[in-house]
Amino acid sequence: MCGGALKAPPCLISMISYIIRRIGQSVVVLFVVSFLCFGIFQFLGDPVLTLAGRYATQEQQELVRRTLGLDKPFYVQYAIFIRNALRGNFGLSYTSQVPVMRMILERFPASLELALVAMFIALTLGITLGVVSSLRPRSPLSRAIMAGSLLGISLPTFLVGILLILIFSVWLRVLPPFGRGEVMRIVGRWRSGLLTLDGLRHLILPAITLGLYQLAVLLRLTRGGMLEALAEDYTRTAWAKGLPQRAVIFKHALRNVLIPVVTMAGLQMGELIGFSIVTESIFQWPGMGNLLLTAIYESDHPVIVAYVMFVAGLILFINLAVDILYGILNPKIRYD
Amino acid sequence: MRSRTLNHYLRDPSAVLGSFLLLVLLVGAVFAPWIAPQNPYDPKVLSLQDSLLPPIWMEGGKAPYLLGTDDQGRDILSTILYGCRTSFLVAFSVILIAGTAGSLIGLLAAYYGGVLDAVTMRLADTMFSFSTTLIAMLLLGIFKGGGIPLVILAIVITDWVRYARTMRGSALAVKQEDYVQAARAVGASNFRIMFRHIIPNAIPPILVVAAVDFGAVVMLEATLSFLGVGVPINKPSLGMMISQGKRFIYAGKWWLVVSPGSALISIVLGVNLLADWLREEINPRLRKR
Amino acid sequence: MKGRVAWILIGLFVAILGSASILGMAKDTLVVAVMAPPRTMNPHGSDADCNLQIMANIFDGLLQRDADGNLLPALATSWERVDALTWRFHLRQGVKFHNGNDFTWEDVKFSLERLKEPYPVSEFLAFGGAIAEVRPVDGDPWTIDIVTTKPVPWFVQNLHQIFIMDKESTETRSIGEIGEYPIGTGPYKFVEWVKGSYLKLEANEDYWGGPPPIKYVVFKPITESSTRVAALISGEVDLIQDVPVELFDMVKSSPNAEIITRPSRRSIWLGLRNSPGFPGSDVRVRKAIYMAINEDEIIEKVMMGHAFPCSQIPDPPTVGYDASIERLPYDPEEAKRLLAEAGYPDGFTIKLTGPNDRYVQDEQIAQAVATQLAKVGIRVELDIKPKAIFFPEIDQHGLDFYLIGWFDGSYDFGRSFTKLLHTVDPERGYGGLNGASYSDPVLDKLLEASSSIVDPTLRADALRLLNRVAMQEKIAVIPLHYQEDTYALYKPSNVQFQPRPDGWIVCKDISFGE
Repeated sequence: MCGGALKAPPCLISMISYIIRRIGQSVVVLFVVSFLCFGIFQFLGDPVLTLAGRYATQEQQELVRRTLGLDKPFYVQYAIFIRNALRGNFGLSYTSQVPVMRMILERFPASLELALVAMFIALTLGITLGVVSSLRPRSPLSRAIMAGSLLGISLPTFLVGILLILIFSVWLRVLPPFGRGEVMRIVGRWRSGLLTLDGLRHLILPAITLGLYQLAVLLRLTRGGMLEALAEDYTRTAWAKGLPQRAVIFKHALRNVLIPVVTMAGLQMGELIGFSIVTESIFQWPGMGNLLLTAIYESDHPVIVAYVMFVAGLILFINLAVDILYGILNPKIRYD
Repeated sequence: MRSRTLNHYLRDPSAVLGSFLLLVLLVGAVFAPWIAPQNPYDPKVLSLQDSLLPPIWMEGGKAPYLLGTDDQGRDILSTILYGCRTSFLVAFSVILIAGTAGSLIGLLAAYYGGVLDAVTMRLADTMFSFSTTLIAMLLLGIFKGGGIPLVILAIVITDWVRYARTMRGSALAVKQEDYVQAARAVGASNFRIMFRHIIPNAIPPILVVAAVDFGAVVMLEATLSFLGVGVPINKPSLGMMISQGKRFIYAGKWWLVVSPGSALISIVLGVNLLADWLREEINPRLRKR
Repeated sequence: MKGRVAWILIGLFVAILGSASILGMAKDTLVVAVMAPPRTMNPHGSDADCNLQIMANIFDGLLQRDADGNLLPALATSWERVDALTWRFHLRQGVKFHNGNDFTWEDVKFSLERLKEPYPVSEFLAFGGAIAEVRPVDGDPWTIDIVTTKPVPWFVQNLHQIFIMDKESTETRSIGEIGEYPIGTGPYKFVEWVKGSYLKLEANEDYWGGPPPIKYVVFKPITESSTRVAALISGEVDLIQDVPVELFDMVKSSPNAEIITRPSRRSIWLGLRNSPGFPGSDVRVRKAIYMAINEDEIIEKVMMGHAFPCSQIPDPPTVGYDASIERLPYDPEEAKRLLAEAGYPDGFTIKLTGPNDRYVQDEQIAQAVATQLAKVGIRVELDIKPKAIFFPEIDQHGLDFYLIGWFDGSYDFGRSFTKLLHTVDPERGYGGLNGASYSDPVLDKLLEASSSIVDPTLRADALRLLNRVAMQEKIAVIPLHYQEDTYALYKPSNVQFQPRPDGWIVCKDISFGE
């Protein structure tokens, strides 16, 4: 690691100081995000009317306003918000009076499962097909794969979802078009659909919908990288040495290509979260994305704020993890 | 040089196909008010009696509704043409604004370096790691009723980053070149250096980015409109058409989704074919063996 | 190696696909697909029908309604009105809550007083505010008097949606817990709630009215109407609420499904501002708008035949309904003439506001109205939004022209008028839902006069008079149609179900045939 020539201790220190610096930066970003969120909501709408019920009088509305603390000045409300947030309390949802962070955490496993399965499909199929299409670029199979991947990046996620439902649920009637099916409790409130056959059936269409775009992107990336690697000198040298073709492909070319592809996949998790909102909406998947959409339609501010904070933290964490992983995989990186 | 590119272009069937698709839809969109059989957003010409008619070649179809009508009696073909208009309008606006602003920021950051560079790039990286879709959705969902300008702005806010990055990369590479050092030594103004040396070299990669981005923006606008947070309901949009049409796929009225869907795919596919060809033109190493 | 892995994966895939058999729910479970998910398990936390219908299975009120809409005893065995402000109830003895606690008058007092507490406790602030006192009569804990702050003629009519909670467990738990785990006296006990997926209930074997016929009930929210239908046809659910009009024929012709319809109590109408200077202040303009709308076409093309034209806000069973009121004919030429006469020969521009997720085809109706009005020169700007945003705007009384639906759970047009059309007066509780600040002093006086009449027959006459004047002379609102409540059953499950006028799904009245 760290250039090879350096001895272990200074290198470790440099990596740890990098991590600490990154975490510090992430915290700053989170604060900025929370401030923005909060500020935006101060200037919009009046949730009091929804909460006091349709038949309440002026007096009763004032009571609600005071109970919610909506009559205090901005900075006081923000300070209270931060103090509560640090304890994990993001307030109650306006529409269902349930603690918001709990709502999000309850739905997180569903979104996570969907995202992981989609990414799994994208990685395995994407890399495999990318390699296959790079070996004999002119063959009909390769051309077909390339055409398919082009279509894959030209189809918006929502259209894919609708077409899949049309084909598999309406015409062929083999796969269910909504929900998660049977789920089994694993630990605490964590429920998984991966352990039941019915759950898996419900996962297929949404996972394909979500993963298709990523699949196409990764496929093209792998193919491009492989084509480059296969043209490199060291590959030709290996061939000249007489190593079997398979070994050449897998040991040399693929390993070099894998690094940028996998890190790209990690970075794409952010995009995946965005697209999962659309997928969850179409398939009525009970995940966080669906929650956000409903909250947006209903102007349920606490939910939106908590969701943004949660996702921001998640993305920052994933990026940091990917960066570290990249550093470990690629010996040429220095943490300056 | 130019004729070689043109030659490559004409020989490559996918590039020609792509541009053909794109051109047809672009012309249709631009001239929509004149060639569309009906202005579907003028309530005076609509008739509920003609709602949910199938395309003209199917039983029940009726002229002049070539592709059928939706549930309010709007001609699908006309709505698609107007919807394409919106798609192109939003995409071109975003690329223009994000491209110019982003390139400028990237150029300045690369040229002046230092703190400006560090801060800008950190900002860019952070913004970029949050999905464009998510941020656009949040902005539009929070600030409701902004209309098309807000949609454009919501996309530009995260889209400028890719242009900034590309320009910066290009600028940094060129900055080291001998002739730039020479120009500086001679005392040429910064402005001049930027314009005469850096920018021309950066244009090809930026064009590629823009081409790929075009497709992405069109899809994003469609997605936002599909979810109901994009273009307002009384303005045409392919995404919104699909959203309203999906209720009817179970009732067998598939054309309400497939027609606008095909138009949408055609635009994006056309752009992507062109972008692929462009990328290969510009980066010779990647040319197919 | 790669080949073998591929075969395993393919085999797995086929196995999964092949398990297309329905997850065999033994026929002791009824699966119901509803349009909107329950918001909370706190019975006072939401006054929306989608929540109340679920609560009606877990809780009891003092009174209940049967499938024909009649008011029947529940936790109260009988009742009478003692004077203008006092209502007396005889309470049922020997009832237990699901946690074993006994039902007593203190639970009634606690529940009614809880209604006054603002968010996040209760959305029934207005009803709670009308209650002055709850006390036992002559020390008898099984007879109580409820005293109201002012005369409320329709008081008992509302009690079927005010649910009684267990004082002890509600006081000792946090609002979050209350909103997630309900404890009532009702025919079904709470089992589990996986938000966004399903709500499971189990029959209460010790229910005072006898155990319900179906052992388990699962409510599944499926907001997307076409998905709901797909779930029914494939047998994943046994009963669905709200069959979308465009899929009606398809469901009807499907061998697995049976459709049940009922004319809804809900009328859909348009409210219009009449402030001075505004076009709607001239009755001729109001008449013109009425006559420019082709309601038959809307019913035929937008509602696909599943609606009934209406001429007034209340439905036939409601006190104040007048059968002699007729619709104005569709006559766009006359409409144009009236507009010109009123000083608008070239029409005018107006904004029509409406929800898109509340009533059947609400958005489509608004669009159709806009199209039709354009033909007489009135340019309509559509402003469609989700109900979560639309209803607060109604509460702010700032709209000009809006689409709304209404049915009064208390079967009393006096109450409807008080909320919908009386001049806005928050202090006295008038016009809470008067979205466009409609104001007519003559109508106000008629309404106020009627509320102090105690004799029901005389009061009914007064309300009918109010209705006639409002609809025939003043065109207070522009009525469109009554919706149709539609349900579909999965035939192989043999569900015996009778639709209710309020559209609720009360599971103790449902059973499996054979």
